[in-house]
Amino acid sequence: MKHKISFILNNEKITHEVESNKTLLSVLREDFDFTGAKEGCGMGECGACTVLVNGQPINSCMMLAVDIEGKEVLTIEGLSRGDVLDDLQISFIENGALQCGYCTPGMIMSAKALLNENPTPTEEDVKHAISGNLCRCTGYQKIVKAIMVVADKNNNQ
Amino acid sequence: MKNFDYYKPDTLKEASELLLKLDKSYIINGGTDVVVRLRNELMEPDALINIKEIKSLHEIIEEEESITVGACVTMNEMAHHKAVIHDFGILVDAVHYAGSGQVRNLATMAGNICNASPLADSATPLLVYDAKVLVYSPNGDREIPITEFFKGVRKIALEKGEIVTGVRINKYKSVKGVFRKFSRRKEVDLSTVCSSVASVDGEIKIAFGSVAPIPLRAYKTEEFLKDKELTDEVIKEASKIARTEVSPIDDIRASKEYRLDMVELSVVRGLEHIRDN
Ligand SMILES: Cc1cc2nc3c(=O)[nH]c(=O)nc-3n(C[C@H](O)[C@H](O)[C@H](O)COP(=O)(O)OP(=O)(O)OC[C@H]3O[C@@H](n4cnc5c(N)ncnc54)[C@H](O)[C@@H]3O)c2cc1C
Ligand code: FES
Ligand code: FES
Repeated sequence: MKHKISFILNNEKITHEVESNKTLLSVLREDFDFTGAKEGCGMGECGACTVLVNGQPINSCMMLAVDIEGKEVLTIEGLSRGDVLDDLQISFIENGALQCGYCTPGMIMSAKALLNENPTPTEEDVKHAISGNLCRCTGYQKIVKAIMVVADKNNNQ
Repeated sequence: MKNFDYYKPDTLKEASELLLKLDKSYIINGGTDVVVRLRNELMEPDALINIKEIKSLHEIIEEEESITVGACVTMNEMAHHKAVIHDFGILVDAVHYAGSGQVRNLATMAGNICNASPLADSATPLLVYDAKVLVYSPNGDREIPITEFFKGVRKIALEKGEIVTGVRINKYKSVKGVFRKFSRRKEVDLSTVCSSVASVDGEIKIAFGSVAPIPLRAYKTEEFLKDKELTDEVIKEASKIARTEVSPIDDIRASKEYRLDMVELSVVRGLEHIRDN
């Protein structure tokens, strides 16, 4: 069963046809070529597929694409403005907060949602906010640091 | 994932009629249980009925005597709601460690109890609060006490065509108590054992999850504690009675013995907390 849905994807109004059994993740990757969000587990455990829906981080592998009707979706591709990277992206690069990079788009989207809600979180807040994002490479310390650098910058503003 | 039809009714009546009319049709709410089951082909529906277009199900209604949490309110919305935080601390604690932030932005409490897993984290707080499950029924609305809602693993007291519209909890004069979750990891893990132990307007109420086919109240232990002072001896004896009220099994998360010990420990720590605070 096909459904015509309208939604906002990375600040652009979209009308698109989807099958009822497609997840948001598969539609983002396969129909729109937004391959930043990754499928790690496909069952809500790893957070590699994290995107923001109406500003809130969710696992896009757990949401049916038809459910996105009328909502606003932001993926890692929509975070930078043209070639200008978001502060978090810059901080991840500068602080070496990634190795293979598989978890990075999801990690950054979870961090983005936290900073939008609370621009000056504590380290504990950061750890809790990324607890749904697994990283098998970095050991998390550099990730927490990269996010805290942005938080501290906000704190000094 | 097999294909299926998908409907998005905007009234309860339409949703209920679809459930009655269509074979193998199920409700999808936050989808965090349903989508995993679809993916693993544990569920092969002909049709899914999304109830999230029904506006009234998104409300949290505060009244003088009670608060009603609508069926489509997400766990995160509920855990950030001022009145819920003020009156239902044990529930907020339980929900705070259910899944991850990403899961809690989708998952609902109604979905949690309707999914009826023995380890549903919101179940034990609702049991000690004696919450009421509000149900839309084609034959007229009804209320089911949460203590009568769970019937078995993935079995609940709903008839075909019935829909949970929300959960109502009384605002008690005084509640003192704790939710405790034993799990292998602190975050994003399912409960090996979960429990709520509370003194609700002076009466001790105790509930456990993940130690029986359904989340349940420990009525014998509660009865034993009636009108007793919480001395160390009384607490110890209560914790031994609690062991006899549950029937845990060995599984990948823990052994039966470990679970029994955690039941005992929950009672001891919970009652000490009530006594000492
Ligand atoms: C990674 C991950 C971690 C998790 N961790 C936890 C955890 O720590 N603790 C925990 O308890 N659970 C956990 N869960 C399970 C799940 O998130 C919860 O059970 C959640 O509350 C289900 O709610 P939902 O709205 O997503 O339900 P859905 O998946 O939409 O529905 C679940 C079931 O309830 C039925 N249903 C839903 N709403 C209604 C209604 N209004 N009336 C009648 N029937 C209805 C559906 O038909 C379905 O059978 C986890 C899941 C994942 C994927
Ligand atoms: S792929 Fe979605 S949580 Fe792992
Ligand atoms: S950098 Fe490889 S999983 Fe995080």
